Amino acid sequence: MRNQSAPPGISIIGRRQFLRSAAALIALPALESFPVLGAAKAAAGSTKKAKNLISIGAYLGWHQNAFYPKEVGRGYKLPTTLAPLANHQNDFTVFSGLDHRAPNGHGAWSNFLCGNTPKAYSMDQVVADQIGQQSRFPSVQLTAGTGEGSKAMSFTKQGIGLPMTQRPSVFYKALFMSEADKARMEYMLRSGRSSLDLVLDDALRLQKSVTRTDGEKLEEYFDSMRSVEKRMERQISQINDPLPTTDYKLPDSDPITPNLLMEAEVLMYDLMALALDTESSRVLSFFIDGLGQVFSFDGVPLRSGYHGLSHHGNDPEMIRDLVSIETAHMHCLNGFLNQLKEKKRPDGTSLLDETIVLVGTGMGDASRHSNADLPTLVAGGGFDHGSHIAIDSNKPDAPLLGDLYITLMQRLGVETNEFSNASRNMNQLFS
Amino acid sequence: MGANAQTGLIVGLALAPCRVLRSNFAALRKRRPYIYVAWFALASTFSLHAKTELPIPDQTYDILANYCLDCHDEAEMKGDVNLDHVSIDWGQKDNRELWEKAHFMAKEGVMPPAKKRQPSEEERAALLAWLDKNLLENTPIGGTPPRRLSAEEYRSTIRELFDLPDYELPLGFPKDSEFHGFNNVGEGLVLSPPLMEAYAKVAEQIADTIYPPARKAPPSTTRTAGPNDMVLSFSAGKVVDDALLLVSRGHEIFRSCSWPSRMEIMSSGRYRVTVSAAKHKPTWGGPMKLEIRARELSASDRSRAEVFRLLKVMEVPSTEPTTITFEADLYEGQTLLFRWMNADMAHDYSKFAQHMREWFEKDARWLAAWQHTVFPNGDFSKIRTSVIRGRSGWEILSKALEDPNLDMSNATMDNKLTVKLLELADSNTGMFNLADVLCHYYFTNGPALEFHEATIEGPLKMVDGPREQLAKKLRQQFTGARKPGQSDEVFTKEILTSFLPQAFRRPVDEQTIDTYLGIAERHWETGNSFDDAMHLLIRNILISPRFLYRLLSPGEIDEYDLASRLSYFLTQAPPDKRLLELARSGALSNPKTLRAEAIRLMPTQPTDAMVQNFTSQWLDTKLLPEIMPDPVFNFSEAEIGIAEEEVEHFFAEILTRNLPMTDFIDPDFHYTTPQFAKDNYQYTPSENAVKKEASMASDSGLEKLPIQRGGRFGGLLAQSAVMTATANGVDTQPVLRGVWVLENILGMPPPPAPKNVPALTPDTRGATTPRELLAAHTNEASCASCHKRIDPVGFVLENFDPVGNWREEWPKSGKRIDSSGTLPDGTPLQDVTHLKSWLVDNIDHFSQCLAEKLMTYATGRVPNYKERKEIETIVEANHAKGNGFQDLVLALVASETFRTK
Repeated sequence: MRNQSAPPGISIIGRRQFLRSAAALIALPALESFPVLGAAKAAAGSTKKAKNLISIGAYLGWHQNAFYPKEVGRGYKLPTTLAPLANHQNDFTVFSGLDHRAPNGHGAWSNFLCGNTPKAYSMDQVVADQIGQQSRFPSVQLTAGTGEGSKAMSFTKQGIGLPMTQRPSVFYKALFMSEADKARMEYMLRSGRSSLDLVLDDALRLQKSVTRTDGEKLEEYFDSMRSVEKRMERQISQINDPLPTTDYKLPDSDPITPNLLMEAEVLMYDLMALALDTESSRVLSFFIDGLGQVFSFDGVPLRSGYHGLSHHGNDPEMIRDLVSIETAHMHCLNGFLNQLKEKKRPDGTSLLDETIVLVGTGMGDASRHSNADLPTLVAGGGFDHGSHIAIDSNKPDAPLLGDLYITLMQRLGVETNEFSNASRNMNQLFS
Repeated sequence: MGANAQTGLIVGLALAPCRVLRSNFAALRKRRPYIYVAWFALASTFSLHAKTELPIPDQTYDILANYCLDCHDEAEMKGDVNLDHVSIDWGQKDNRELWEKAHFMAKEGVMPPAKKRQPSEEERAALLAWLDKNLLENTPIGGTPPRRLSAEEYRSTIRELFDLPDYELPLGFPKDSEFHGFNNVGEGLVLSPPLMEAYAKVAEQIADTIYPPARKAPPSTTRTAGPNDMVLSFSAGKVVDDALLLVSRGHEIFRSCSWPSRMEIMSSGRYRVTVSAAKHKPTWGGPMKLEIRARELSASDRSRAEVFRLLKVMEVPSTEPTTITFEADLYEGQTLLFRWMNADMAHDYSKFAQHMREWFEKDARWLAAWQHTVFPNGDFSKIRTSVIRGRSGWEILSKALEDPNLDMSNATMDNKLTVKLLELADSNTGMFNLADVLCHYYFTNGPALEFHEATIEGPLKMVDGPREQLAKKLRQQFTGARKPGQSDEVFTKEILTSFLPQAFRRPVDEQTIDTYLGIAERHWETGNSFDDAMHLLIRNILISPRFLYRLLSPGEIDEYDLASRLSYFLTQAPPDKRLLELARSGALSNPKTLRAEAIRLMPTQPTDAMVQNFTSQWLDTKLLPEIMPDPVFNFSEAEIGIAEEEVEHFFAEILTRNLPMTDFIDPDFHYTTPQFAKDNYQYTPSENAVKKEASMASDSGLEKLPIQRGGRFGGLLAQSAVMTATANGVDTQPVLRGVWVLENILGMPPPPAPKNVPALTPDTRGATTPRELLAAHTNEASCASCHKRIDPVGFVLENFDPVGNWREEWPKSGKRIDSSGTLPDGTPLQDVTHLKSWLVDNIDHFSQCLAEKLMTYATGRVPNYKERKEIETIVEANHAKGNGFQDLVLALVASETFRTK
């Protein structure tokens, strides 16, 4: 049943079908056997809604032993990696034992958001296609580090990896356009729009010159152009809409060298909080890359580069140094959660309540390149938090990470009952 | 043709009533008659309108009625197929495709199904002859729709048009969908709104490249970076006593170099650079040399140092810091890069292993300590790779060096552990790990180079960076020189007159030129500059259908479309000046000229776009980067790359040397690296047997190695890439491989698998072998008709594991692989050599298959019945005169199929 290295292909389809049918067979009571506290409330009909989705993926993963609490349920003792999040313990839930049953290796990292098939339609893009259009940027992809590791974390319906923005200054300029940038954009739109008519005249003349069948084939061109035209017109009509402003200032140079990874993270978190607060975007994904950079904490360089440490071979000192990097990531995340929590709505709820923050990875154990058992954390989104939900993936009816994603998507108003190889949800365990 | 159709029409009208009577008669068995009334009405209406509608003769109808219509009439429509008609309008493509399918099924004996009544041989032959005649008479050659450029064609077209040889499509650019195995088939090349947006974005990007927005000089600043402001990766540097130590002269910058974190140049200009450095624990007297280069901050940290521009080599003579100041041009996005040029150690396979060997020879204690570090407990099967990284490894090593009880018993040069250690030092991952550890030895003991500080002051003045220099060059190309006194209008018209025909790959009439001129004029009227208008023109030209589409000539394919077809086929690029000139003069369609041009454009290198693109699609090697072989196969990413290159070299060799088609199957050479041959084919070429013929150039060290014909090794079917692409990285599935070979090598695609049959799930417990599992196929008559063709071919390849390694036993069950089988024509197969010799004896099957694939790739349509017949004639004729592959390609180019739209 649990075949980690199963490749894409027929065997997967077979297994997927098996899972579907298994899901149909076990019915709900079986779920109660999960070792979970607070699972008693069956919240199938929850009406709570969240508005935003932040998906954060760490390329080299999260060391499981330092990420998973020893105890299950509420009141667990915070494990080392999560220690920086102490103030928010009741604002997030830790999940262990979830994964997509995807192939192993760095190459399959994108299973994080794509599910069982790496590079398939990713969860954040499913959400963006449903609710993203309501904001200026239907979806935003950011990275700390070059993004070279995985190249893409978010994939369109067609399976195209979306490019990620590495420079905070670029994202900042997009969010808070300067007058000069705005003028340039307006010029490009207006000149583009007005010249389009002449190109289309010429295209029509061309269409008339070819055979009827060939001319019909060209309708694809005209349909596509109409859609470009509409987009331009919409943008032109909004050009004078007031843009959000901010007092926030970025440093003079972008922290894009590998040793400044944490600094880049902090800036990106700041900008993501601003993007959410100004309602500029609702769906953002954030990739935390990792290569050979050697970090120093308190002036002492670690025993090896980040990537080298991830291949710790269970050496305790290597693990300690690796966990110190992962803990530093969590410090950065803590700053983000603080900001979301501080931004209060008139009704007393916070931006965090409206925002699902998913933290995870596509690699369960980087030391072995295993993509099983992906450490996962969900904060915000109005869920009942504070627990460690442990799933025993050896059980045949164990929920998949995709089942959790279905629950998250439903909370965001996406009406779906399936994602990748998952076709249930975790509403009973997590609501 | 016209006369025939007329006669047919009259006959059709005359026959129609009797057909109805007969059908009605048949219908009494199971149908209600009213259907027939309506049908009669329809049939007669159609026969009045269609000139290509012909009745089905009585004898043929009887055969159909007796053997086909039980299942394939209007009421049953099994498999959505209805063959019950009074007459057939052969003018309809759908009808031709339906009857072509019927022809295929009847010819291959798939239909009628085995359990049903079978026609006599004469009846079957009569039906086939009738279908063949009608299909041939009524299928027109040609029919590719106007098609947009594929993503690859689009990219290479931009490269050619603007002379931007390294241009890459932006990340996130939409992919083409595959159609019949190729991503450049007209029907699959749909234009959608997201793609149009992507075209518009690229157009903007190109316009910005040629006419970049103006830049302003920033104020001059002074920025300083000390040892703690530098990037440290892997073991490239370490800060000791307020200095950054560099110890390796390795090529990859993240293994050997350091650079400031926050000193990115924001505007290209002249800057004043000051650097101070010193020697650290030198062991020799001469000056240390510090290389100072300008690296793009956005370039990969895996880049080789040599790709970055060298600004200065600084001599560092003493342990006291030396300071130098110099002026240099630094461009937007760059920063300084430092490397110690004459360091003792390098991250470089042969040099590093040599360095270690010499050291081991001198110092047995050093050797023993390394043995202890890498092989704990003296067990050479367990390499401690994970812990021997950077400082972690150094701590183990340095402790061992100080250990008075260090085990010295293995510290000899001929010891197994020593040999293994040196092998590791000379291997891919091992070298980097060991060298990173060694860096720490130098950090502790020296010699090292101390970097103290770097300062950049400026810009002292603005200079043109690469971006501005490129833009200047591109502008000159785009506009040409303006004649003295020429007005903007006249000049622009001149530019358009020369540029539009290049962009649209055909002559452009006055009206089109004026339309685009109008865009510029309107833009000037609203107060914009000449350059602004050029920028706008480029944005618009690149979204015109004339640029984005091919095959837009009004009627038959014209000289220009022919030029495009030939050029995109053989070079994946738009037609060059010479081709366009030949098209203009009307000479290209002359068979001699066309042949000469095809020879001129024929790929010559394995790296040529046509070779890479065609083979990766035909042989599915495009799947390789996605397949992640299970770690048990020990098949590295580098090996996947070599496997792909093997195929490209092999194909290019046969093409350029015009070798016979049989060499695809059973050649006397193989392109690979000796190491790959040893590791993956268990083949060691003897030194003196290596062919002296020049091998084609290869960065990965592929050579042309001689092999024996008739063996299991060599040829497409035994190549690692092909066997990997037809498996899934974990296990093999004989049915999938069998189908793949039928489709791509034999050109006999079996009908699609029945929908209601589940896919076979491999038995992971290993209780049954695949053969036992698949026995069901041959036992069940309805499966057998196809599987008797699929399974033998699949099983005979079972000796190749999922990465193409030879194996004798099935994994898990451990049972000996039974690769035997019988081909449908009765040929017994014992192993792959028998399949190869059968293919050599019946090479036209393969040639036909490859020729059809080439034609699909070249014309953007799947050849139809008549076109396949033409190809058949070409294949036979080519066989008769030597069967050279290049000759075949040339004959295909000369064919009517190629020369028709």
